[in-house]
Amino acid sequence: MWEQIRSNQVRSVFLIALIAGLLLAVGYFLGLYFFDSAVGGLVIALIVWAIMSLVAYFQGDSILLGMAKAKKITPDDAPRLYNVVEEMKIASGLEKVPDVYIIDDPALNAFATGRDPSRASVAITSGLLQKLTRDELQGVIGHEIAHIKNRDVLLMAITAVMLGTIVILSWYASRFLLFGAMTGSGRRSSSRSGGGGAQAIVLIVGLVLMILAPIMAQLIYYAISRKREYLADASSALYTRYPEGLASALEKIGGSKQQLKSANQATAPMYIINPLHKEGMKAADLTSTHPPISERVRILRAMTGGASFANYNDAYRKVHSGKQVIIPKTAAAGIGAIGIRQASLAAPGELGLASEKASDKAASTHEVSDLMLRLNKYRTVDCECGARWKIPPGFKDNDVLCTRCGRRIRL
Amino acid sequence: MLCPVCHQDALIVEYQNIELDYCPACHGVWFDAGELELLMGSAGVEDFQRYLEGIVRAPEVETTEKKHKCPACNHKMKKTYIDRDNKILVDVCHVGDGIWFDGGEVQNLIKELVEKSPEKGASQGVLAFVGEMFKHQTD
Repeated sequence: MWEQIRSNQVRSVFLIALIAGLLLAVGYFLGLYFFDSAVGGLVIALIVWAIMSLVAYFQGDSILLGMAKAKKITPDDAPRLYNVVEEMKIASGLEKVPDVYIIDDPALNAFATGRDPSRASVAITSGLLQKLTRDELQGVIGHEIAHIKNRDVLLMAITAVMLGTIVILSWYASRFLLFGAMTGSGRRSSSRSGGGGAQAIVLIVGLVLMILAPIMAQLIYYAISRKREYLADASSALYTRYPEGLASALEKIGGSKQQLKSANQATAPMYIINPLHKEGMKAADLTSTHPPISERVRILRAMTGGASFANYNDAYRKVHSGKQVIIPKTAAAGIGAIGIRQASLAAPGELGLASEKASDKAASTHEVSDLMLRLNKYRTVDCECGARWKIPPGFKDNDVLCTRCGRRIRL
Repeated sequence: MLCPVCHQDALIVEYQNIELDYCPACHGVWFDAGELELLMGSAGVEDFQRYLEGIVRAPEVETTEKKHKCPACNHKMKKTYIDRDNKILVDVCHVGDGIWFDGGEVQNLIKELVEKSPEKGASQGVLAFVGEMFKHQTD
């Protein structure tokens, strides 16, 4: 029944074909200008695209994780996080537990990457790990695992590469055109001085295309990514049987104003929310990579009847007060009634202490930062006065002065 | 964290679950906003955000001291007085990532605390904590 989700991909395939068409058109006009042969341009466009696709397919996930400065962790490093990932792997029916990465950043965000369900990774920022309760973390991980399960990660990688190719080709083509126009000694104009009118039309169409293609490709890319987010939200609700978990996690993430340092335009659609959000920016326009958070939360909260896709569709209709469905009927029908489970009692942090006491809050806050320090190979020494020193790996001295009590502590 | 003055890895000291970053070379101290919130929370201060905004919005002080970049967001910090008597000049991050005390300011702060009986004020707890943690800078 899970594979029926793919019927939803018809629209995606259409959009991808559109981007591919743009890519070919750019190549076509590129060839007309520079080599007097449209075929030559097409060949160049395809070669550039093929090389970029190969790199993306074999190295894409490690490049992305490297760009995000993500660190791979083992079950011992963060047992609760790993446990949640394993839980969601079982709930989704994924064949292999994805690799788990942490990004050392106080911003709140998460993403999934990989070429197929058997080679995938989920990454989460340390800030998010610190702030979320177990239920919320489960909702977020469920959303990311859904991206892997629904093969969104590969889809997004394919479109991102095509977008990148279009941007690169258009950029170079427009620069060459400008340069050629300025020096005024184009091969083209001397060899074909006859057909002036037709040539001018080709020139104008080509120029317009060079300028518009990157923008159009980007809009299509965003359209694909927006659609996928609803499906991943619905899948997360289904896996966790607790839509409120993801809803309140999204609220926490949306309420934070911190921008992720390592995100950029091309990688933005991968994250659970757009990492480049700015205050005052209209969230629901064409250029947004994700549906507005408030809307996603409203839909999840409106799922009162159960946690199945049908319930998500009902909730979507309730929020949008229309007849539209977001998940195709065939996919929704394959799943019977799924009840919503009870909330589990747990506070944020690895310990999950169900307490709001300031001291407990402080203790759990440093769990995640200590985890990051361990991953960064810091040493820890305790002073008799109660202070605890955390020493960076580059520290050369053999002892450290405890500034609180004046003792020297040997390392 | 890299020291905004020496650009070397700072040490981290944790006491009563509050962490501070301390540069052993220049003796400067970074008080992160998250840690400030924890300290204020355990001292029973409810409205931490208002306190932080108060410091961030405080008027910039004209000084010949070199400006430093925030170790968290890498933007230039602004110089402002944090105590009531305008004696302790700190660097504050524009977006409220935290407060940097130069090595000299930590010394001033300790002297202030020794000379005067603690006054009531929003920053008092913060200054007392920093003073307590770094009173033994030399053997």
